[in-house]
Amino acid sequence: MKGMRLLLFGCLAVLLIAAGCTTTQQATGDVGILDAKTSGAMPTLLATKQIDGYIAWQPYVEVAPVAHIGKVITYSGSLPPDDRWKNHPCCVLAASTDLMDRNPALVDAMGAVTILATRYVTDHPAESADIVADWLAGKGNFTYGNITVSSVEVLNRAFPTVKFVNEPSDAWMNGQVEFIYALRELKTLTGKLANTSDAESKAILFDTGPYNRANAMIGTKKFTAPPAEANPIGVGYLLSDHDASLFVAVKKWQYFNDTYGIALKPRDPTASKPDVADLLVNGKKVAEVKLIPGSAGPQLMQLAATNAIQFAFVGNPPTITAIDKGTSVKILMALNTEGSGVVVVTDSPATDWNSFVQWAKERSAAGNPIKMAVPGKGSIQDIMLRYALEESGLSIKEVQV
Amino acid sequence: MRRPLGIILPILLLIVWEIAAQSINNQFILPRLETVVPVLLAPTVDILGTGSLVHNALVSLERVGAGFLVALAIAIPLGVGMGWSRRLDAFMDTTIQLFRPIPPLAWGPLAIAWFSVGINSMVFIIFLGAFFPVLLNTIDGVRSIKRTWVEVAQTLGASERQVLAKVVLPGALPTIWTGLRVGFGIAWMCVIAAEWLPGTTSGLGYLTLYAYNFGQMHYIIAGMITIGIIGIAFDFLFRSVEDRWFCWRGLER
Repeated sequence: MKGMRLLLFGCLAVLLIAAGCTTTQQATGDVGILDAKTSGAMPTLLATKQIDGYIAWQPYVEVAPVAHIGKVITYSGSLPPDDRWKNHPCCVLAASTDLMDRNPALVDAMGAVTILATRYVTDHPAESADIVADWLAGKGNFTYGNITVSSVEVLNRAFPTVKFVNEPSDAWMNGQVEFIYALRELKTLTGKLANTSDAESKAILFDTGPYNRANAMIGTKKFTAPPAEANPIGVGYLLSDHDASLFVAVKKWQYFNDTYGIALKPRDPTASKPDVADLLVNGKKVAEVKLIPGSAGPQLMQLAATNAIQFAFVGNPPTITAIDKGTSVKILMALNTEGSGVVVVTDSPATDWNSFVQWAKERSAAGNPIKMAVPGKGSIQDIMLRYALEESGLSIKEVQV
Repeated sequence: MRRPLGIILPILLLIVWEIAAQSINNQFILPRLETVVPVLLAPTVDILGTGSLVHNALVSLERVGAGFLVALAIAIPLGVGMGWSRRLDAFMDTTIQLFRPIPPLAWGPLAIAWFSVGINSMVFIIFLGAFFPVLLNTIDGVRSIKRTWVEVAQTLGASERQVLAKVVLPGALPTIWTGLRVGFGIAWMCVIAAEWLPGTTSGLGYLTLYAYNFGQMHYIIAGMITIGIIGIAFDFLFRSVEDRWFCWRGLER
């Protein structure tokens, strides 16, 4: 057990040095990390005192304060080290290389739909939060004991903590490369990306062609109609406001069709979570699109690997891991940056990151280290929490189940 | 006297539930009765955008029906064959016994890869759940046919086909029916689990998992109660048929 801890500490020290952080403080406490696999289980784990806190993507961060079971101590953009996670990459749009080779214009069109919808989300946050609340919860109420809150309110709280951007900028790509380093340290990259240089990694991961062509088409408002697809195209997504652009694209299809002539028109416009839509370009249907939700990124990447989906609105580490293992997908653009948060139980003395660290150290010294849940080992949230804890002089103890 | 007696424990459980829920006072551990009952009393009202209880129950039933029928179509003929022919039985038995202990859900990842997201992969999993009980009961039913019945038919000049259709199948039907009853029960459990597969967007199983994402335990319990009620209803149906048509089984000696 002790050897394991030393090994872990050693790994993390190497990780921090590799990441350019040379301040390897002596660890002064332990924090348990529990892999909850997805964000959904976390409020329940917290409310039943099985964990002391969690890091999750929105809107599951806001569920805790709204249900009075926990409080948010920090959002992911402000996690230490300073400025390290500002604008950190999060969800991305990925496409199957098979489709990119076979029907590139279709991939460009899907890219254009995503960019237009992202702009709409940025310009109309309140309306978009409403749309996401409809998609995720039929605008229904959440009931927690005596407390009943509208899902619209939860989404309105969550929305300002997510930054909706698409541009695959250099800074954003470098942010992704950081995740490669972290994933290597977690020993999850053993294939194509195990030993690549940064430039090689980028060449394997990204294809910004569709983003550039889609942007150009939007600039001229002239959209190239791709050849119609005979078989339905699968689009996987996460049940998160990070994928708001997809939900807004479908729900506001009329607006996009009228303004740009390109849209994702749902077959059943009354459904709160439509599962089939038609991709329209210049008013003509070019593909039937199946909208397939997944509870976490690895699930979606499994669907991509078995060709059940051709596009994924998904977190970047699952995509990187899948590409490493040989899944034929490329990352086309960003969907959002930031948008995760750290929650602790209501009766914790922690109010911000520093007091959280203090609390963790006290609990560790008292022989009862705090336990934090992460949504899957190697997820963005898992990686950020590990870095932040290490940076603050805490070492990690995996909770073995 | 049996029915009133059977109702006492559920009522007691409800009372204990409410008292426990009030004293625990944590809806994540046990939501109060008054948050669950309204959900059950409004089965046509949409739940978190996933559709109503009735809608999702119908979707689940459709899936279980499809998987169950496929299981019957394969398990009954195969079972009759294996019960009738020792050679076929010797040929198949090891393979059947190898596959039988694998829980249907363990096939999930393969089901998605082979049958892709959607109804086909769910039907496959439900099929696996219902297949084995139906098959084993059919084999058992055919084997337990009295030799004398078959011999009488053969003496009277019946062909093998006639013996199978007029003697073996009707004679084995009560046991096969028990297999159907057990098989449907397992299929119903499997559909709920199959709806936890990625890509699912409807069904009672999906509804309960979806409600879990937001810690909506009262919806989960309402979904579980609905699953239970539908399960009992079908078991009752199967049993009524058994009582009505197969009561001779107990009488014949």
